Amino acid sequence: MEVDIRLPAPRGRLAAKEDDEITLVTPGDVITSDTGFMRGHGTVMEDDSLKSTVAGVVERVNKLISVRPLKARYTGEIGDVIVGRVIEVGSRRWKVDVHAKLDAVLMLSSVNLPGGELRRRSEEDERMMRKYLQEGDVISAEVQNVMSDGTLSLHTRSLKYGKLGQGVLVPVPPSLVKRRKTHFHTLPCGVKIILGNNGYIWLTPTVTESNTGGYEVDLSPVSRGDREEMARLRNCVLALAEQKMLLYDTSIMYAYEESLKFESKVLLKSEVASEIAELAQQRLEHEGYK
Amino acid sequence: MRDVPISNCEREFLLAIIAEKKRVDGRQPTDLRQVKIQFGSNFGSCEVSFGKTRVLATVSSEVAAPKQRRPNEGILFVNVELSPMGHPSFEQGRQTEESVELNRLMERCLKESRCVDLESLCIVVGEKVWTVRVDVTVVNQDGNMLDCASIAAIAALAHFKRPDVTVKGQEITIHTSDERDPIPLSIHHMPLCVTFAFFHQGKFLLIDPQEREERVTEGKMVIGMNKHREICMLQVTGQMLLHQDKVKQCTKMAFVKVVEMTELIQEALANDKTARSKGEKCGFAMSSEKEINTTVSPAKLVEDVSKTDLPMSSDSDSGSEQEMVEAGPQERPVGDSPKVVGKGVAIIGSAAVKKWEEEEERVKGDKKGKKKKEASVKEASVKGQQSRPQASAYF
Repeated sequence: MEVDIRLPAPRGRLAAKEDDEITLVTPGDVITSDTGFMRGHGTVMEDDSLKSTVAGVVERVNKLISVRPLKARYTGEIGDVIVGRVIEVGSRRWKVDVHAKLDAVLMLSSVNLPGGELRRRSEEDERMMRKYLQEGDVISAEVQNVMSDGTLSLHTRSLKYGKLGQGVLVPVPPSLVKRRKTHFHTLPCGVKIILGNNGYIWLTPTVTESNTGGYEVDLSPVSRGDREEMARLRNCVLALAEQKMLLYDTSIMYAYEESLKFESKVLLKSEVASEIAELAQQRLEHEGYK
Repeated sequence: MRDVPISNCEREFLLAIIAEKKRVDGRQPTDLRQVKIQFGSNFGSCEVSFGKTRVLATVSSEVAAPKQRRPNEGILFVNVELSPMGHPSFEQGRQTEESVELNRLMERCLKESRCVDLESLCIVVGEKVWTVRVDVTVVNQDGNMLDCASIAAIAALAHFKRPDVTVKGQEITIHTSDERDPIPLSIHHMPLCVTFAFFHQGKFLLIDPQEREERVTEGKMVIGMNKHREICMLQVTGQMLLHQDKVKQCTKMAFVKVVEMTELIQEALANDKTARSKGEKCGFAMSSEKEINTTVSPAKLVEDVSKTDLPMSSDSDSGSEQEMVEAGPQERPVGDSPKVVGKGVAIIGSAAVKKWEEEEERVKGDKKGKKKKEASVKEASVKGQQSRPQASAYF
């Protein structure tokens, strides 16, 4: 008989590398008492010393000191790839949840409508908005502009972006998604992955390749094999996120390869998950990734 | 900060299982979650929890001038606050639609039902009356705040005692609790709210919806009722139409729940009273359960303490404290053998108790019973020379 004995509480995090010059601070920690520095985001000047207001990593650019929070809502930058969920259809705009402090806006004028890019937008289109995207739909988009109050304005004027069909949405802390040249990857295991800069990660089978950029989604059943691969990848992503490891194509792929010796449902156990993350980290270090 | 929206899959799943008369937490559609009523060490503070929803109600009183229209009546003031601790979407000091609705419904439930005898709160007509203030705070929101809040408020009012007052001519003396025993409010009846959530055009209803279920509901009906079957309040919200019969059916269900709840409140009040009269410790700290996750069963721990106590009494040396600390770990229970609950699962100690196997067995047992029934139905149909294909289509 197979017996499964688990720890009553999850094990601690992986030991952090010692050689790195990372300064971690918690709210209220004194960063410096030197008055020659400038106050950046996540810091406050109190009693002639610079104190942190968030828990995170201290960053310094010349005289400017700021603290990048470890776990915070997403603050957008122009050009970021995001995955979001439509929550409201308004007049000539959609409101999109992107795990930011405020809801992002996708204007009707910044989407590609069927029938060519140079088509004029008529009142008809305004009435048809719900037909393109309705509440609850998941989309991929790019940040076009950051307004003065921090609201993000999105666009999907590329064939890469648009409505997402069948797949798995995995929310992770946004700071764990590594900024890279491309955030769209087709992994060798037959799954397409979109690493949204806002911490939403979308996994989808590659069979539904043909409809990117459109508003039609393929709802044909996904084969069991594909679904298992997606479930395995999801668990790998969560395992990496649990150990606060950066997420990008290589790290996810390494975790995936390390996970192959386990059944995908076993990956949900915290001990197995941390083991995989540890193995992936060792491999990354060995291969020279940082 | 706004909440993460519910996904389409989850919404569809919730609606689909509701149509099958199932719920995510395994309850029946008309079941309540576990209700816990606790009283604080002060009179008039009460915390009620419905599963993970927790609401705290505190009652306070002060002497004030009455309203001009009602010079011989005391004042009852109800305030509901959604603290940011309760849910990420609650914000400090901002009136949302939700909080206004909750406030208004609580006011209607408590004030307009005239459950508290306000005339007995009068001290001097037109000059001085008692103002009783009920502050309801939502400590944690996991759905059905209103039912929870209404129980908390009425239980706190029933628990509350105001200082005694004597009037001699123009002179008013308010006695402290040392001088004279404080006086409880006179409560005529206990109006309680029961919330019904409707799904699929009012076809399916749930009592005590949890937060997830509240998010996919079409509309809600709130019935405020007391155990004498008097409806104190009725409100329907949402986009749906309800048939008259449905409302009547709901009032019947609400009555059953209200009676159940009233008994529970009265029992809790009686328990608190006996605890106080015996001089036992009471209050939140005493009644809250301590969640201890340990790999050693509690019975063993108690034995352990007695064992480690023995050497201390035998050798009362001054420097024995260090020895004691060392002696502790040696006495660790060794004989705590793993208990096999089901195939492939072992549990050591009291941690991680699971009941899935038991549930499965129970379901299996039920199915066997049903199969027998089915067989008998088939027999009967054969005997009656009627073909009844739907008999086998039940499963």
